[in-house]
Amino acid sequence: MEHALVYGAYAVAGLVGLAVYAAMPKEGRPVRRGLALLLLASALGGLLMLLGHLLGEAGGRLYFYVLSVLAVLGGIRVITHPRPVYSALYFVIVVLSTAALMVVVGAEFLAAALVIVYAGAILVTYVFVIMLAQQSPRVRGGRSLGETNYDRSAREPAAAVLAGFMLMATVAGEIVREAPAVEIAAVVTATNAAEGNTLSLGRVLLTDFAVSVELAGVLLMVAMMGAIAIARRRIPQVNEAADVPPPGEIGKRAEPF
Amino acid sequence: MFGLGVVGFLTRRNLIIMFLSTEVMFQGVLVNLVAMGLAYGHDLHGQAFGLFVLVIAAVEAGLGLAIVVMLYRRRGTLDAECWRAMRG
Repeated sequence: MEHALVYGAYAVAGLVGLAVYAAMPKEGRPVRRGLALLLLASALGGLLMLLGHLLGEAGGRLYFYVLSVLAVLGGIRVITHPRPVYSALYFVIVVLSTAALMVVVGAEFLAAALVIVYAGAILVTYVFVIMLAQQSPRVRGGRSLGETNYDRSAREPAAAVLAGFMLMATVAGEIVREAPAVEIAAVVTATNAAEGNTLSLGRVLLTDFAVSVELAGVLLMVAMMGAIAIARRRIPQVNEAADVPPPGEIGKRAEPF
Repeated sequence: MFGLGVVGFLTRRNLIIMFLSTEVMFQGVLVNLVAMGLAYGHDLHGQAFGLFVLVIAAVEAGLGLAIVVMLYRRRGTLDAECWRAMRG
């Protein structure tokens, strides 16, 4: 254990050194900021792991604070970035930190399911839709701005922030008022010790929640049929190919009911 | 030991502006569910419910994106202000 800690300290120091080296300016070559940031991030990660080991029980708390701050920052970037692809990328950060939070609490199955479903399926769908529904960016002075009209200014930001945070403050106040002082570590190990998280979660799912599982399956099927019905488009035949209008044309000629 | 701070700080994450942010909301709710399930019920019900929340989030993302694609085909833009006539 001691050797692992020592080597960990060496690794962190080495990574920080590499990061600083990559960030140094050099003749004839621009500073490789990406590489420096990457090395710095991995050094920070190593440092956090070390701290977690050193602090022992309180390390869980450290992980929790760091991960939740990371998730909140990622969430803030998701909603404030003007370009949708970057929002999707920051959303990956949010999903990964949430999954890590799940692991800290002991719900490994949920963490893996989160990564697979969210970062794997939903995000890919989002990226596809962003690709399909692209806008031509505004051109100003011959240079493309890379973002569209409606992405540049938020819509009534003050009211939205006020509403959102009042809601959150209310909920948080309620929770803090009634929170018991619990020892989650003991509970988690008691539940998972004998058979691991996946097995015990499966047991709970299939005994207490059996009806809900069936309903979830039905819901998924209905949603799939609904999505197909919504987005269905007639495949144009050879002599109809010219009739399929580009996006936006239908709206220009359609009458409101 | 984990303590009061965990349960207290777990609700810092509800943000509301347009579609991806509803997914962020789902994340916040998910963390909350799991933690409170463990804190109040001392069993895995919170995680099971969290799994269902995940299912619903996936369903909602798929259907919502289908609608977004249809709206885009209609008007050629993703601007929410374009559909202002539907308000109220």
